[in-house]
Amino acid sequence: MDQQQIINDIRQYIETNILSGDIKINADTVLQDAGIDSFSIVEIILFIERKYGVAITDDKLVPENFRTLESLSLTVLELMKQS
Amino acid sequence: MNLFSHSPLPEKIPLSGSDCFHLVLDKHARKYNAGDNVMRIVFYFDKSLSKPEIEERLSHSALIHWLCNIRLVTPPFFRKPYWKYTDGGRKICVHEHEHAEEFSIPETVLNRDIPIDAERFIECDIVRYPTGRSVLSLSWNHILMDGRGIGMLVNHLNELDETNGLSPQDHFPVAEKRTGIYRYIRNMYEVKRFIQDSSRLPIASIAGKNAKSSKHFSNRIIYFTREETALIDQAAFKHGARFGANLFYLSCCAHAVNLINSQRGTEGDLWLPIPYDGRLKGSKGPVISNFVAYLFYRLTSTELLDVKTTVGSMNRQMAEQLKTEMSRKYNMLLKMMRHFPLWLYYFLISRTGEGNFSSFLYSSTGNNFNQVNHLFGMPVKNLTIYPSSTFPPGLTFSFLRHHDALNINIAYSSDILSKFELDFLEEKMRNLLFAGC
Repeated sequence: MDQQQIINDIRQYIETNILSGDIKINADTVLQDAGIDSFSIVEIILFIERKYGVAITDDKLVPENFRTLESLSLTVLELMKQS
Repeated sequence: MNLFSHSPLPEKIPLSGSDCFHLVLDKHARKYNAGDNVMRIVFYFDKSLSKPEIEERLSHSALIHWLCNIRLVTPPFFRKPYWKYTDGGRKICVHEHEHAEEFSIPETVLNRDIPIDAERFIECDIVRYPTGRSVLSLSWNHILMDGRGIGMLVNHLNELDETNGLSPQDHFPVAEKRTGIYRYIRNMYEVKRFIQDSSRLPIASIAGKNAKSSKHFSNRIIYFTREETALIDQAAFKHGARFGANLFYLSCCAHAVNLINSQRGTEGDLWLPIPYDGRLKGSKGPVISNFVAYLFYRLTSTELLDVKTTVGSMNRQMAEQLKTEMSRKYNMLLKMMRHFPLWLYYFLISRTGEGNFSSFLYSSTGNNFNQVNHLFGMPVKNLTIYPSSTFPPGLTFSFLRHHDALNINIAYSSDILSKFELDFLEEKMRNLLFAGC
């Protein structure tokens, strides 16, 4: 699994399930600016846990890791390596 | 000439599941002869407002026109209630008031009811003060719009110059997808089990067990500066609310109420159904209808040990409910219950918790109003939302941020909360929000 694949997976999930149809995001979009709120973050965490079988540990639950798809995908990659 | 003739307004809008729930709350309020289920947004200005100018501006809004020309239809035989629009030519009425106490809202404004058989479902008030300052208040029955909806209505009013108010397609809910009856029934049993367990008695309500009616509602607004709000944000992060302060705010409210219950010797588990915006993020509509989903938090004494523990518990309960899609299933239940006669609907939901819908009520508009800099081109000095006066429980916290400064509008019944208790509540809220203790 490479980083680009993770970015694509999460982007597709967010665009399909969380964002309004006319809003598109890319790897560098600040998720909060696109309208992602705390409830949406929980939904994204649950998606990541389902999709990649990793649990996002407490020390990873910080806003910097959820700022963009780029930072989020790096966090997922790191957790996948650890597991 | 009909101003909106080339942009037809919908003649029939069915109530959403949450709208219908508010219709039942309205029935509840009438039964207890208490509260009014009316929400208000109040804008504060440094200048005096002109009634003709405001009337002129509002008259260009197709949405305001629609709100002034609808009536509620509750058909028999298990058909859904709906709003029926007939262009009767009614316009919004702007009421004027002179008031001595700066930025205080006269009781005639705060106590005006908008019942379900009202002629208009939105009212506008201008209050002028001797200093030359003024406020503008918009009031509406909660059955029609939620907090996010009024935020979009404000954007719509501010964009009237550009759009001429003639783009109503975003304002109204679209036709719903159909769901199979089997799925409805399966969800219904699952949700019923969850709600019965989550709201199992005993629950400690601020209203107490013997309170049966209350007419005496008032508001207290707690204002924080930008600097204080930044400190509150830091405290929220420190106490485990890492992606927005919402759960920290709610946790502080729960602790403040629990302290009052303890003083009274009535402490116990708190049960809190909390609404959150159910629209897709970044959407421009719909304005009309309550598009909320609910999360249900039960807080035991162990979970009320300290604020951080409470935030942690609510985080877990939220994640579990999102994982099991309980919010979505609960909304499906609400949608299905629209087909029930109101008396049956009311009977079913008031059985749970012996008529107590919540230990107290809470809502937060998040950042929806943070960037509202002007209304009709006039700089907005401040704004707040007056939540509806729902009884029981007779205590509602409404959090709002404007220009990065937080304010909390507490709607309370003086039959439920004494002056001493209200002062204590404010003091505790300040301590909890700044330091978590």
